[in-house]
Amino acid sequence: MIPFLRKRVLSSAVPLICVVLGVFFLARMTGNPVDLYLPLSATPEQRAEFSAAQGFDLSIPAQLWNYLVDAAHLDFGTSLRTGQSAGSMVIDAFPVTLQLAGVTMLLAITGAVLVGSLAAYRPNSLIDRIASLLSMTAASIPDFWFAIMGVLVFGVSLGWLPTSGTLGGPEIWVLPIATLLIRPFGVLVQVVRGSMVSALSAPYVKIARSKGATPRRVVFGHALRNAATPVLTVAGDLTVGLVNGAVIVETIFGWPGIGKLMIDSILQRDFAVLQAAVLLTAVTIFALNILVDVCHALTDPRVRQAVPA
Amino acid sequence: MKSSVSPTQRAAPPRPRTTSAMLLAGVLLTSSGCAVANSAGGDTGRDDGRTLRVVLTQEPPTLEPCEASLTGTGVVVRSNITEPLVERDPTSGALNPLLATGWKQTAPRTWTFDIRSGVTFQNGAPFTAEDAAFSIDRAVNSDLACNVEGYVFGDEDLEVKAVNDGSLTVTTEKPDPILPLRLSFVEVVPRTTDTKAKVRVPIGTGPFAVRSWQPGAAISLDRFDDYWGRTPDFARARYVWRSDASVRAAMIDKGEAEIAVALDPMEAEKDTTVAYPNNETTALRLDGREAPLDDIRVRRAIDLAVDREGIIDALLGGLAEPAGQLVPPGVVGHSDQIEPPRQNVAKARALVREATADGVPTGRQITLVARNGMFAGVSETAEALQYQMQEIGLNVRVRMADTATQLQYQLRPLPKNVGPIALLIMHGNQAGDAAFTTSQYLLSDGPQSTFGTDALDRRIASAGALSGEKRQKAFADLLTEQNQSVVQYAHIAHMNGLLGLSRSIRYEPNSATGDEMRLAEVHSAKGAKH
Repeated sequence: MIPFLRKRVLSSAVPLICVVLGVFFLARMTGNPVDLYLPLSATPEQRAEFSAAQGFDLSIPAQLWNYLVDAAHLDFGTSLRTGQSAGSMVIDAFPVTLQLAGVTMLLAITGAVLVGSLAAYRPNSLIDRIASLLSMTAASIPDFWFAIMGVLVFGVSLGWLPTSGTLGGPEIWVLPIATLLIRPFGVLVQVVRGSMVSALSAPYVKIARSKGATPRRVVFGHALRNAATPVLTVAGDLTVGLVNGAVIVETIFGWPGIGKLMIDSILQRDFAVLQAAVLLTAVTIFALNILVDVCHALTDPRVRQAVPA
Repeated sequence: MKSSVSPTQRAAPPRPRTTSAMLLAGVLLTSSGCAVANSAGGDTGRDDGRTLRVVLTQEPPTLEPCEASLTGTGVVVRSNITEPLVERDPTSGALNPLLATGWKQTAPRTWTFDIRSGVTFQNGAPFTAEDAAFSIDRAVNSDLACNVEGYVFGDEDLEVKAVNDGSLTVTTEKPDPILPLRLSFVEVVPRTTDTKAKVRVPIGTGPFAVRSWQPGAAISLDRFDDYWGRTPDFARARYVWRSDASVRAAMIDKGEAEIAVALDPMEAEKDTTVAYPNNETTALRLDGREAPLDDIRVRRAIDLAVDREGIIDALLGGLAEPAGQLVPPGVVGHSDQIEPPRQNVAKARALVREATADGVPTGRQITLVARNGMFAGVSETAEALQYQMQEIGLNVRVRMADTATQLQYQLRPLPKNVGPIALLIMHGNQAGDAAFTTSQYLLSDGPQSTFGTDALDRRIASAGALSGEKRQKAFADLLTEQNQSVVQYAHIAHMNGLLGLSRSIRYEPNSATGDEMRLAEVHSAKGAKH
């Protein structure tokens, strides 16, 4: 297990480093933020002073070195936009996105296992066709459209839910979670169904049935265990996507998460916040990938055996 | 990276710790949700009739008073939390007393202001001329690089002196007939305010004080009980922000907010929306330094190619007026004599053909740069302008940009080696005087101008030194001159804003509403005080 883990960490660290460095360089290619933060009449001296104070007057390699040294001391700089610590802004925003993504995936996996298993138990039945149609539709609906329709139908027309916001009772979670949930749920139902159809036709399942196992025992006790690996893989990818893709939900529903913070930072050329947000997100995705791989290896010994020591 | 494993092959039994880890993660995530869902009132606050709930497009980056010329900051701060010495009536353009009770020009370069007595700051300190002098000095003369300094005073420093508690003198480098108007943009703060750094939450003399700022969620204000002026109807105000216009409109429909700013034209038919002229004007700025835009015939042709009525009707929901100048009616210097040009494709084509015959490279690609989110329908407007310019024989491509990128094209120093640029701009003159427009957009070396003429520069300088009717005429004449001899701008429309208003309140928006929404002017529909 240790060699497997070591190899996975090393291979996952490469994209992590590329993303962090890529964002650093790409941000600086968009130009000096001085125009956004100083008045029109700022003198050349004021502009030079601003650039020097922010370290923008240094060469790009020198800026990168300073950033890496400071980041190693957990100092991510100060937001140009708000004057607050970039690190604290990111730390404040990140749990909001994690909550959304975490709850969404728990619901998506649970729902997909139930619906997908039900559909797979009797392939081509009415239930299977309805589940397939709905899951394909769900996987295809644009998040943005679904969110706005949800606001208009359930918020304004029916009056059941608040239109947006982060403070309040459990009802505030419904539309954001539903918007985030719809695509992973649709994809996972199809993956669970496909895996379960294969698993349910395997010889050991027929043996279990011939021994008189109940349908529930057959599905959840035998087939699901074998079908779990591809579902876990896809769920891991979808979770990573959710952490990155909560931008729409956070923007529409006014949730101050990491996605919205990143977009605002890009638009405002707030380099320190952008770098801190990307670094934390990249590390989280890195950790999630490792976690998925470990789970994968735990459920299937061939995975860890395939990695040479 | 992930292994592909046939699901038909038996997998190892799942380890108990995997299940435990997933359960633990679920419990943690669910319990951490309480950190978000912890207030029964919600972001917008309770619908208790005592709280005025306003939904903005974005969270103000700061409430620093010297940044109040930024729309996002000013709409919360100005005349709500802090106040200036004088205020401009957005409708009549007249200057009214506020923290100064009177003012007069006591020397060619000096103005004297009488300071209102009996005013206290929200921290309990009395307001005196010393505070007013400190505030002007801090905003205009300091190293804070305040936005109000750049937008209103340029690079001019002021000599400010508190004569006694009730009197203040302000001396300019050159005679300035509109100094009181300029000072209406300086918000007054206590003399104890930080001079080395901008403050995030201010103290002022206004009718409301900041109670709390929940970053990312809401800003709450409380009515200031010791306010010197008329007591506002509402005891509290709460600002939230939603970037999507349909959500802002939905919050009015659902009763989650009393006021929603910047709605889309598609909401215009509702009885809960009000259109108001917001002093914004859209135009194409043509870079006269680059061929083919360096030829006045080509610039005139573009001006004639624009179908203003078509764009307004089809793309702006009819909520605008065709424009022939950069300042709308109500601004000193606006000329009633300037008629917006009517589209004349044949004449425009003839001008382009004539220029081509003289060797002007009219086939060179012109980049039409526009900013995402500048107004509802901006990308469609850019495409319509591209089509109309192509119709007269020009080669145009559209580039949509974010704010920072667009500003690189808009502000000096202008980018080099980018070819001919037609920049879609939206200029708001909230000060009510054309001097603020011409110094930026028409001077040869104006911060937002690409070129001009010496003659126009001289006229701008001389108009700025005038006052009264002479000032009005001088600016109106030079705007006419711009259209005849420079044609840096193909004006498009004087815009309107659209405000969502709950039926439970009474409020009449004016041309300043987008930048300065005075909460004290919002009343309960029942007229009851709370």
